Amino acid sequence: MAKINIDGRDLEFEEQLTILDAAKKLQIKIPTLCYNEHLAPYGGCRICLVEAATQAAPQRSRLVPACTAPAADGMIVVTNSERVLESRRFIIELFLSRCPESEQIRSMAAEMGVQPDGQNLDVVGQYLLQRAPKREATNCILCGLCVRVCQQIPERFALSLKERGIHRKVTPPFEKVAESCIGCGSCAYVCPTKTITVEEA
Amino acid sequence: MKLKPEDLNKIRERMKSTSRLREAEGKAKINVHLGTCGIASGAREILHTFLELVEASGADDVLVTTSGCAGLCKREPMATIEIAGQAPVKYVDLTPEKVKKVFEEHIKGGTVVKEYALAVGSERLG
Amino acid sequence: MGNYRFNLLVCAGTGCVSNNAFKVKAALEKEIEKHKLQEEIQVISTGCNGFCANGPIMVVKPDDIFYQLLTEEDIPGLVEEHFLKGRPVEKLMYTPAKDEHPIPKMSDIPFFGKQQLIALSNRGLIDPENIDEYIALGGYQALAKVLTKMTPEQVIEEIQTAGLRGRGGAGFPTGKKWEFCRNALVSEDSSAPGNNGNSPSAADKYIICNADEGDPGAFMDRSIVESDPHALLEGMLIGAYAIGATHGFIYIRGEYPLALERLTQALEQAREYGLLGDEILGTGFSFDISVSKGAGAFVCGEETSLIGSLEGKLPEPRVRPPYPAQSGYMGKPTNINNVETWANVPHIINRGAAWFSSIGTETSKGTKVFSLVGKVNNTGLVEVPMGITMREIVFDIGGGIPDGKKFKAVQTGGPSGGCIPESLLDTPVDYESLVQAGSIMGSGGMIVMDEGNCMVEVARYFVSFTQQESCGKCTPCREGTWHMLNILENISQGKGQEGDIELLEKMGRYIKETALCGLGNTAPNPVLTTIRYFRNEYEAHIREKRCPAGVCKALITYSIDPENCTGCTACAKNCPVACISGERKQTHVINQEKCIKCGMCYSVCNFDAVRVR
Repeated sequence: MAKINIDGRDLEFEEQLTILDAAKKLQIKIPTLCYNEHLAPYGGCRICLVEAATQAAPQRSRLVPACTAPAADGMIVVTNSERVLESRRFIIELFLSRCPESEQIRSMAAEMGVQPDGQNLDVVGQYLLQRAPKREATNCILCGLCVRVCQQIPERFALSLKERGIHRKVTPPFEKVAESCIGCGSCAYVCPTKTITVEEA
Repeated sequence: MKLKPEDLNKIRERMKSTSRLREAEGKAKINVHLGTCGIASGAREILHTFLELVEASGADDVLVTTSGCAGLCKREPMATIEIAGQAPVKYVDLTPEKVKKVFEEHIKGGTVVKEYALAVGSERLG
Repeated sequence: MGNYRFNLLVCAGTGCVSNNAFKVKAALEKEIEKHKLQEEIQVISTGCNGFCANGPIMVVKPDDIFYQLLTEEDIPGLVEEHFLKGRPVEKLMYTPAKDEHPIPKMSDIPFFGKQQLIALSNRGLIDPENIDEYIALGGYQALAKVLTKMTPEQVIEEIQTAGLRGRGGAGFPTGKKWEFCRNALVSEDSSAPGNNGNSPSAADKYIICNADEGDPGAFMDRSIVESDPHALLEGMLIGAYAIGATHGFIYIRGEYPLALERLTQALEQAREYGLLGDEILGTGFSFDISVSKGAGAFVCGEETSLIGSLEGKLPEPRVRPPYPAQSGYMGKPTNINNVETWANVPHIINRGAAWFSSIGTETSKGTKVFSLVGKVNNTGLVEVPMGITMREIVFDIGGGIPDGKKFKAVQTGGPSGGCIPESLLDTPVDYESLVQAGSIMGSGGMIVMDEGNCMVEVARYFVSFTQQESCGKCTPCREGTWHMLNILENISQGKGQEGDIELLEKMGRYIKETALCGLGNTAPNPVLTTIRYFRNEYEAHIREKRCPAGVCKALITYSIDPENCTGCTACAKNCPVACISGERKQTHVINQEKCIKCGMCYSVCNFDAVRVR
């Protein structure tokens, strides 16, 4: 039997678990965006970062993504320290700066106490939400869920990620309608910001 | 051809002169003076004799090199032998036979062949 | 086999080749034939000597005479004077700056004499296209020793005792990494983390050489592959035996055509000799290597992205754990090491762990290859023992700063690193000390800077690089570096605001904490260290809209000093936008509205009349 401690509460476990799985069993909520329980974890959005330390070195904690980090015996996890909340706010501010119109991002941000014209933003938040250059409007947060679901569930590979870095985008092959698409709608179903829609052909 | 471990050593043997030229630290250095005077009096033959002797002896710490005129043109062919840690010795009026003796006694044996030498370091031999 | 009296080692590394080294070699061969010296003098083209700014280079063995900056025109005179008349040619030798006397012998030249070569032992000494020369200087002896006299566990222990750490930048103990992979159990379901208790299967393990070398200005790995590809192959063979792998990959940058050519040839020659393939050296050990080319993505230097690229997938980092040692290429246990790390292995086996660990410091053993470039007199590739100070590298080996300028900083670790200012010049170069100073060892890039370098521009340059190369998977790197770049560009254009320095510091810290892989984790480093040591430059840009180093184009003006201007019209004639007006022998004037700050007038003026403020 292994034991993990999250926010002061112990959980005993035998099977392979991620920190997110363990937190769910303890009914501790950790926000996620690129996570879907039916798909292999991705670790890309970084909103689920939590502090984790081993029993041997409790003061040397690191920020790890809860959706991918395996729960280990003796691990001590904190999901609501100032360090964790700071990093969470930073990530949501980056998303808000990228997708200011997205309802889902706005409400997630509001839950975390981040308002675009808010008074309690730190210097980074102020910059990201008020001064940063505006870009072409999009609600896509590049979580990759649509790409991953199409690969792993219907296994049609009709969507992929094109370009690198800030120019990255989700697209079917050669930006045309994918021949392999079967219109199952999984991509639209998993999209956290409802950016993908399914149309009649 | 697929090598066995002993074949590696055979290749090394075959390439011995290459490794000697490229890597040798040189316990002994033979400097044959090849100025115009030297060449005119047969220094090239002296050079080749030294080269052959070194090759035949299989020594891998003896360097053979050349340099310009040593200044004493009447006594060419000349060679300067430098054993590590000892003063250099200038040999004069060399012939292939004298070279053989110098190689055996000085370079291999460590004893200066006084009758062929002009000077040891800066001293003159009487 | 020649009774050659001279071996002329002509450097044929990329630098020298692009400066016509092959033409120099052809001229040498022609002159030697002309004087009928072919039986006495052998001309060999070797790999890179490391002194690349001074090429084409030739070293005369056995005398160790060093010739540099050779042209075809120099050759007839050189052959006649040195090889016929025995008088080495002084004007073609290396003369230190501020000195009149040349230094004839290579080992006396401080650039070379102060180095200690392990990974680069054979550089400039052998023809990399001839496996026999590698064997002549002791090559493949370590492999023979390992296959006939050592068990895999003994090999791993030797590497561990030696204290070799990964030379690609992370500095992870190599022996430990090998041990993880050797002990990794191969699971049936290779996508699941962990193991199912199956016994290890040698056919299911891989080793990889990371030859992607993406840091701008870094060419350590290129040099090793071009000059001594067999050192890499021998190291990989030994590693494969120790770990239990039967196949290896070399992932090499597509931008290294000469290295790729030499590597391919070396692989063919090794196969011919049965040093790769089945039953190597007549033992039961079988191993072969295939080569894969990169296609221009810096992120592929990150091990899991590299594996992704090898598998034909998108090159983006994967979550760890599982680490490649447990689940790497195709889900199988995989060990990845950098070129330089592999190249050290045969030496450790040949000369022993005790010898290797006697070099370097307590925690950083052995030597490291650095590319010493920028504002320094002797630019090139140097291999030095760990623990040598930065000062010794820059001044004793590098020969100091040219043109009487003053040292300002040295950037180590490329875009992941930081700058070391003058006050820290006595920092010993080892993994821990560099981290304490705020930088990292990285793969070994060292860019020297003088007062003419603007530290804000340095930060902007590196962030623009990491920004372009970011794979885009994780939010903080993809979005965060883009924002940092915008802020830095504004500052360098005079649009910075009060508070921007604190903004950069805080954002940099957040990005470091939250990014997924090393690219993002370290991208803020150049910004954070330049702020730490050169805050005043940032403040000048922001508060005074001034660039103290005179570099940031938006903040400088070029003007002509009427006191010095002679009206020679050189500037006006060379101005690409024709914005300089003036009559002959009259003071010229630059039209500030049209000036594009290219600096052409400054470089053609012979009267020191162009002022940059």
